[in-house]
Amino acid sequence: MTEAPGLTTQHQATTRLTQLKRGQRGIVVEASLDASDAALLRAMGLCAAAKVRLCRAGEPCIVAVDCGCGGQCRIGLARPLAERIMVRVDN
Amino acid sequence: MDGPSDRSSVAGVRGTPQVITNGEAGAAHPGRMRRIALLGNPNTGKTTLFNRLTGLRHKTSNFPGTTLEARLGRVDLATARPTRALGGSDACCGRDGEDGDGLESAPVGETELIDLPGVYSLELDQLEARVCRDVLVGVAAPRGDVVGVPDAACVVLDGTNLGRNLMMAGEVLRRRLPTVVAVNMIDLAHRRGFAISAEVLSERLGCEVVLISARTGEGLGELRRALGRARVSSRTPPGDDAGLRAWAEEVFATAASRPEGSGAEEITDRLDRAFTHPLLGVVLFAVVMTGLFWGLFAIAAYPMAWIEWVFTWLGSGVRAVVPEGPVQELLADGVVGGIGATVVFLPQICLLFLLISLLEDTGYLARAAFVMDRVLRPFGLPGHAFVPLLSSHACALPGIMACRAIPDRRQRLATILVAPFMTCSARLPVYVLLTSILFPKQPLLAALAFVGCYALGIVAGVLTALLARRTILRGKSRPMALELPTYKAPSLRTALVTTVDRGMVFLKNAGTNILMICIVLWWLSSYPKVGPPQEADALRGQVAAMKEGLTPLNAPIHWVPRTPGESRNARNEASAARQELELKWDEVSRVEAEIQRLETSQAARESFAGRIGRAIQPVFEPLGYDWQLTIGVVTSFAAREVFVSTMNVVLAGQDDPENETIRQGVMSATRDDGVTPVFTSATSWSLLVYYVLAMQCLPTLAVTAREAGGKRWALLQLGWMSGVAYVAALIVYQIAR
Ligand SMILES: Nc1nc2c(ncn2[C@@H]2O[C@H](COP(=O)(O)OP(=O)(O)OP(=O)(O)O)[C@@H](O)[C@H]2O)c(=O)[nH]1
Ligand SMILES: [Mg+2]
Repeated sequence: MTEAPGLTTQHQATTRLTQLKRGQRGIVVEASLDASDAALLRAMGLCAAAKVRLCRAGEPCIVAVDCGCGGQCRIGLARPLAERIMVRVDN
Repeated sequence: MDGPSDRSSVAGVRGTPQVITNGEAGAAHPGRMRRIALLGNPNTGKTTLFNRLTGLRHKTSNFPGTTLEARLGRVDLATARPTRALGGSDACCGRDGEDGDGLESAPVGETELIDLPGVYSLELDQLEARVCRDVLVGVAAPRGDVVGVPDAACVVLDGTNLGRNLMMAGEVLRRRLPTVVAVNMIDLAHRRGFAISAEVLSERLGCEVVLISARTGEGLGELRRALGRARVSSRTPPGDDAGLRAWAEEVFATAASRPEGSGAEEITDRLDRAFTHPLLGVVLFAVVMTGLFWGLFAIAAYPMAWIEWVFTWLGSGVRAVVPEGPVQELLADGVVGGIGATVVFLPQICLLFLLISLLEDTGYLARAAFVMDRVLRPFGLPGHAFVPLLSSHACALPGIMACRAIPDRRQRLATILVAPFMTCSARLPVYVLLTSILFPKQPLLAALAFVGCYALGIVAGVLTALLARRTILRGKSRPMALELPTYKAPSLRTALVTTVDRGMVFLKNAGTNILMICIVLWWLSSYPKVGPPQEADALRGQVAAMKEGLTPLNAPIHWVPRTPGESRNARNEASAARQELELKWDEVSRVEAEIQRLETSQAARESFAGRIGRAIQPVFEPLGYDWQLTIGVVTSFAAREVFVSTMNVVLAGQDDPENETIRQGVMSATRDDGVTPVFTSATSWSLLVYYVLAMQCLPTLAVTAREAGGKRWALLQLGWMSGVAYVAALIVYQIAR
C-alpha cells in the first residue's frame, strides 16, 4: 500500500468515507490506496480537497463529487476503496 | 494515402504498443490527409460526434468505457459530407470541385477523424490512456491508417460536468497541438440550467470553443468550420495535478455558472439507491432482465410467424413452378428450406440488439454493474465483467471486445474465457427448435426450459471463472470504481441503427455462408444416387401383383335397380364390395409407403453425408445422436446457428408434404428404422445441453486469441467448453433415456 502522492493534506478529525451518513457532505483528506487506484480516482475527480456528498452508504458507496467547480459526477466505489478514503465532515 | 508498408494497429496491442518509426511524423505532411483526433473523458459523446461527422456507426452507449480502441473515419469538413473511404467503395479522391460549395478544391476540407477511448487523464497507467498517448505522439494509429502525429485535436467535453472535463482540455492544450474544444450535450446542459459562454471559454483556453449537441446536431456546422482552422492555443495550463485542478476550477468559474441544487439530483439519488439496494436492487435487476427477454420473445413471435409463412409459401411455390427433379429439390430443400430455417430468427436477433441498445443508453447498466459486482466477486470476477457478459448474450464477439474495460489482467482473461458460455443469439434457433420439440403443447414448460438454458450457460460460465481464478489465473481482485453516468432518455435512432446493422449482418450471413453450407449439404445428402434396396424391389413386385385386376377406386359403380327389394340387396352388396376394395387399396398404399421409406432411407444412408455421418456417429453415440444429428452437430462446429438449417436439409428427404411448417417437418423425422424419431426427448435434452455449453463459433475463437494475447487461450476455451459440453450431454442422455 503506498500512499498516493497528491492525495494527502494534514488534518486531524477525519473519518472514513464509509462512515459518513447519507446526504452528509465531506472533504476528502487522504486515501491510502494502490498507486494505480489512487491515480484513477484522482483523475475521476476524487482528489484531496474534493467536496463530496454521500448518496448511498454501504456497498457500493456512491458519492457525488464536485471539485468545487462546475457540474458533478457520481462515482460508485466498492467497499475496500471507500474504506480507505478519509474525509473531514463538512457542514 | 495509405502506405501499406507501415500500417499499424492500436487494436489488440496489449502491454506496450509496438513503436513504429515513421519518417513523416511531424507537423507538415505533404500529400497526406489532415488528421484530427477526438479526445475527452469517458462518456462525453465522442463516438456519437464521430458517427455524426463520418457517417459511420460505431457503438455508443451511456456507460463509461464504450470505445476501447482507436478508430478511423473520414469527413469532408468543407462540404459536411462523410467521405467514406473505409470499407465503402465511394472514392475519397477525384471529387474536386464537384460540389460547388465555393471551395475550389474539395480535398482542402477532407479530413481523417480518429475516435479514441475516453480517459480521465492522458497520464494514467491504463490501456485506454496508452492508446490515446500513442496516437497523439504518432507511434500508433487506428487500423487502416498510416502512423503519424495528428494535425489537430478536438477535445470533447461534457457540458453538464465541465469542471472535471476542463482538466482534460488543459492536458491536451499543454501538448501544443492545434486544438478545438467542443462542449457537447449542450441540449442537456441548457435543460438543466447551466449557462456556458463559448466566448469567455475560448478566451480563457486560447482556442476555439464550440457548443454542440452530437445527438441533435446542434452546432456541428460551426464545429466543422472551427476544425478546419484549428490553431495551437496561446495559453499553457499548469502541468502539475493540483495546479491544473485550480486552473480548471478558475476557468469554469469565469466562463460558466451552474444551477443551484436541483430536483434532478434528488431523483438520481433515489434511483441510485433503489438500483443498488442489496435486495431491491437484485429484484429490479431480475425484473429488468426478465422484461428484456420476455419482450424479446413475446414481440418477436409475430414477425417470426409471418416469415415462416412466407418461406413455406415460397417452398410450395417452387415445387409448383419448377419441374420435379434435382433442381426443384435444390431450390425447395436446399435454398428456400435451408435459408428459411435461419431467417425466421431475424426478428428475435434484431429485437435483442434493439432492447439491449435502449437499455445501455439509459445509464442503468453502470448501476447494475455494482449489483453484479456483489454477485460475481465470490467467483473471482469484477463488476466490470457485467457489461461484457451481458452483451455476450447477444453475441460473444462484442462481449469479448468489451472485456478491455476490465482493468485487472487476470480478471479480464477469466471473463474472456467464459464469455462464450453466455447464450448468444445464434443459439436461439436451436433452443427454440429443441424446446418446442420437448414441449410441443406446453408453452409454459418450453419457456421454462428456455430460461433453464440461459441459466445453465451463466452457471457454467461463473463456475469456470471460479476454477480459472483458483488455478491458472490466481490473484487478488481489484476493487471496483466506476463513474455512474447521468440517466438519459435512450436514443431510438442509435438503437434502430444498431438493430438494422446487426440485422444486415445476420441476413448477409444467411445469404452467403449459410446458403453455401445448405447447398453443399444438399448435394452431399442427395448424391450419389443409389439404386433401390433389394427389399424395395421385392415389395415392388408384390405391389404389382396386388394391383393386378384391382378395380380403380374412382371407377363408377353401375347398378340398375329392377324391383325395390332387389334394389336394397344390390345396394348392400355393392357397398360391401366397395369396402373390400378400399381395404385392398389401403394395403397397396401401405406397401408403397414402405417402399418409399426404404428408398429414401437407403438414399440418405448411402449419400456422402450419410457415409460421413455414420463414420463420425460412434463419437456421439453415447450422447444419443444418430448419424443425421451427428451431421447437424459437426456442421455447427464453425457456427452453431447452422444447425437448424442443416437438420432441415438433411431431413428434407423424408419430408411429408402434409407438414405445414419447417419445424413440423423436422419434428416428425425418423431414424433409419423409420420408427424411432430422430428427436426423442432424451436426445433433445442432451442436444440442448450440448448446444448451451459447446464452443461452436470460429470467429469467437479468433477474437479470443487476439484479445487474450495468444492462441493458447483460444485453444483452452475450445477444449474446455467442448469437453464440458460432451460430458454434460452424456450425463443428461444417460439419465433421460
Ligand atoms: N442528450 C445528449 N446525449 C448525448 C449527446 N452526445 C452523446 N450523448 C449520449 O451520451 C452517451 C455517450 O455517448 P458516446 O458517444 O458513447 O460517448 P463516448 O465519449 O464515445 O464514450 P466512451 O467511448 O465510453 O469514451 C450516449 O448515450 C449518447 O447517446 C448529446 O449531445 N446530447
Ligand atoms: Mg466512444
